[in-house]
Amino acid sequence: MIKKAILCPECDLLLEQASVREGEKLLCPRCGAVLDAPKKHSVEKVLALTSTGILLYAPAIFLPLLTFDAAGLESTGSIADSFMALMDTHFYFTGIMVFLTTIFIPLVKLMMLFAVAAVIQTGRSTRKTAVMFRYYQHMDEWGMLEVYMIGILVTIIKMLHIAHVQYDVGFYCFIGLLAATLGSAAVLDKSQFWKLIDRQATEKERAGGADPCGQKGVIPAETAADAGARL
Amino acid sequence: MTIPRDNAWCEINTGKPITGKDAGLMLCHDCRKVIPCPEDGSPVKCPRCCASVHLRKADSVTYTWALVITSLILLFPANLLPIMQVDYMGVQDYSTIMDGIIYFFKEGSYGIAIVILTASVLVPVFKILGIMMVLLSIHFRWESWLRHKTIMFRFIEFIGRWSMLDIFVIALLTALVNFGFFSTISAASAATYFCGVVISTMLAAITFDTRLIWDACIPSENTKVRNK
Repeated sequence: MIKKAILCPECDLLLEQASVREGEKLLCPRCGAVLDAPKKHSVEKVLALTSTGILLYAPAIFLPLLTFDAAGLESTGSIADSFMALMDTHFYFTGIMVFLTTIFIPLVKLMMLFAVAAVIQTGRSTRKTAVMFRYYQHMDEWGMLEVYMIGILVTIIKMLHIAHVQYDVGFYCFIGLLAATLGSAAVLDKSQFWKLIDRQATEKERAGGADPCGQKGVIPAETAADAGARL
Repeated sequence: MTIPRDNAWCEINTGKPITGKDAGLMLCHDCRKVIPCPEDGSPVKCPRCCASVHLRKADSVTYTWALVITSLILLFPANLLPIMQVDYMGVQDYSTIMDGIIYFFKEGSYGIAIVILTASVLVPVFKILGIMMVLLSIHFRWESWLRHKTIMFRFIEFIGRWSMLDIFVIALLTALVNFGFFSTISAASAATYFCGVVISTMLAAITFDTRLIWDACIPSENTKVRNK
């Protein structure tokens, strides 16, 4: 009998949950998808990195990034300015896209992940925490700070022999923000987060008798272990 | 139905791998909880994360075709129209994506030229062709290279966002190169189309369900080939 049934998200293969140690990865034998990758102290590390990111966010986005100096004329700007410049020249669609991918979503992602980790750490998860973590996962790939970083490097190389390039405070803060964002995604152990949210929310529902997901017609919370036993 | 322990992935024993679909189980794609399929086919919410759960993403192939064709159409204006406008001493100069790449090649900055060429030309083209190939392989039930197709799709999902590079460079140049009459840079019409290409290819990768690649293979026929 299968003790705990799991399914590969990419090829739907039925597998038995194997024990994985921290730092190891569980791969699907058929398609190679990563099924589980436990990480040590994930919640604490996520809390540390997301709070760092939130602190660095405002200076990284609003302080001047670079100054170009050509023939005695100076020109400077921040990431927020690069969005405003597109709006000023009436490229609204492109401008909104830049705003979402580099200004709005990175902040929302950091705050959501911080909130989820903080709630888990204090043991107060509800189904709302689960919904928030779900939104974080959906937003994940639309935050494009690392692409923007390469964009900054290309811009610098483009301007190197035309103008004198001066690196401002915003540039260093942006590197910090990028490191914190990438780091928080790297130390995030999603299956661990889901387990903790579920455990805490279920306890609360048992105590309070609240309806999971706040609606009728939800199937009883049969665990994967039950499903495996049913086979 | 009883599945013996060792046969959870029983390619060796019967030549027929068991999928969640066969076993009447489905996966919540958001939190990866395994949930039994309802017998009457009614819509199911995940008890753990409240997402609606489907055996396969609904109308995946239709949505993906629509988005991939959209991006293919947008790819032409994105590459043929000018993407950047440079005003230098009152003279306007327009350049397309290819102009920028050729400029760097001529100048001898091969590294940066290759980075821009990859991000803004090769990646979108590869994405569109790759997704179309996978869609066709589902349509015609091609059973070979299943693992490779899945790996290729995973790669497509990963590289998608890097096409935004050119847009970010132009946004930065617009803000930073502002020397009044002397020299200014601004975006041009292709920027909007290019954003459209990036969004529609990323959405196409999201709406696609890789499990359909594996559904296309008929295990019984697979076994026949292997037993010969």
